[in-house]
Amino acid sequence: MNAKVYYTEHRRLVLGVLSVIFLVAAWELLLTYVFPVNPFFFTKPSLIAEAFKEQVQGAKLWHDLAISSRAFLWGFSFAVIVGIPMGLVMGWRRRVEYALDPFLTAMYASPLVALAPLLIIVFGVGVLGKAALVFLLSVFPFVFNVFAGVKSTDALLINVIRSFGGTEKDLYFKVILPSTMPYLIAGARLAIGRGLVGIIVGEFYAASEGIGFAISQAGDTYRLPDMFVGIIILSVIAVVLTEAMRRLELTVAPWRAGEEVR
Amino acid sequence: MKLKTFYAEHESFILGTGFIVILLAFWESVPLWYTLPKGMALFFTTPSKVAAAFQQLLINGEIEKHFYVSAIAFLAGLGLSIIVGLPLGLLMGRSQTLEALLDPYVTSFNASPRIVWLPLMILWFGIGIWSKIVIVFAGAVFPLLINTYAGVKNVNRVLVNVVRSFGANEWQLMKVVVLPNSLPYIIAGLRLAIGRAILGVVVGEFFGSSQGLGYMIASAATNYKVDVVFVGVAIFMTLSVILTLAVKRLESRLASWRPETAKTF
Repeated sequence: MNAKVYYTEHRRLVLGVLSVIFLVAAWELLLTYVFPVNPFFFTKPSLIAEAFKEQVQGAKLWHDLAISSRAFLWGFSFAVIVGIPMGLVMGWRRRVEYALDPFLTAMYASPLVALAPLLIIVFGVGVLGKAALVFLLSVFPFVFNVFAGVKSTDALLINVIRSFGGTEKDLYFKVILPSTMPYLIAGARLAIGRGLVGIIVGEFYAASEGIGFAISQAGDTYRLPDMFVGIIILSVIAVVLTEAMRRLELTVAPWRAGEEVR
Repeated sequence: MKLKTFYAEHESFILGTGFIVILLAFWESVPLWYTLPKGMALFFTTPSKVAAAFQQLLINGEIEKHFYVSAIAFLAGLGLSIIVGLPLGLLMGRSQTLEALLDPYVTSFNASPRIVWLPLMILWFGIGIWSKIVIVFAGAVFPLLINTYAGVKNVNRVLVNVVRSFGANEWQLMKVVVLPNSLPYIIAGLRLAIGRAILGVVVGEFFGSSQGLGYMIASAATNYKVDVVFVGVAIFMTLSVILTLAVKRLESRLASWRPETAKTF
């Protein structure tokens, strides 16, 4: 009886966990007993777990992660530094909006990843090329979300500040920036996803180290378990970062829950 | 005076195009007032050279060939993701059991960059068109699925109950209430899916491919043909902007009552 109550209360969780367990078990059993594994093209969870243990204990994985995150952080920080002020000014100054909006919208809508080969050839296969790619991909979510945030600022609050003799600086720091915060975090969430694409594509294209390189090299040499380890680690990082942003968004602006289309 | 009112009326258009024109003119004029060092000159091109390269590639049929390959991968992948994503999203929205069973996969796949699977896809499907179709599909299916699901979830309970009370079965309910109500969400999902699909085409063709616009860009870059790189980038940009704007227009027609939200591509 108790189990039944628990089930009805946590139905979602129970079913979700069960379905993951079932899938992993089915994968393992099918490839062990029904189809013999061709290790060049398929792998199974037990082999992946083995490779995972080996890699976590080794030094290469951590080195690759450090290399990739350095490029990511450089590009992402520049996107923050450039994107936020640009969005603020665009939202606040009508003429700036008119001038920049079509150009930036076109840039945002287009797959700038297409520039990856050029950027890497110009800036090299090191940190700089990848950072440039990450910057280019992740700056626009910041610009446009901050822009939308400024646009949605309550005009009444602005008038209040003005009436009480507030300066332009007060306006930015006391009204516009706080009310833009939830948009900013939503932008950061999108930017993280796009930035990760930048890192991966950059490292697939040309690199000598980094997690993306590790994945593509494992693929080239038919080491499937190692490849899955890389894929899983990258996916987990992506999920954790975006989930963290979503949580942050909900704490900062609970009224926006479920409002936005992902 | 007349000029001034004209400006005031079309200010956003004039400033918007003006900025782009000035930017292009500035780019074009760089070699006139600044001699690039030899190393840099290798990577530099001007809009007029890009236009010339475009014309030449158009004449010798190269663009047509690559475009055709890319378009097939794009359309097949996107079509597949519509065929799979829409029904699955509808079912997930209507059935709580199915939702609970599939949610872990949908959430984690959607949050992680699908591009990491590319080496595996190339291993499994070879360097032909299929690995591209699969990667386009993997990118485009989740926005469609999730938005369809969100649309179904957002359907007005009262309408559902009314239709039910009058004896509609699940199929009629779907047709009369659920589908029309989630259409704006589906279109929004389609817009996101198009962006992801184009990304998939570009990146898929960068690696292990011998045809397609993405391949054209990658091979031009390795040969330092920067103008050809920009031709490819410009084609992708134009296509994305046109497709996105078209869907946006459709979206705003269908959902003029929905509040404006930030742009998401």
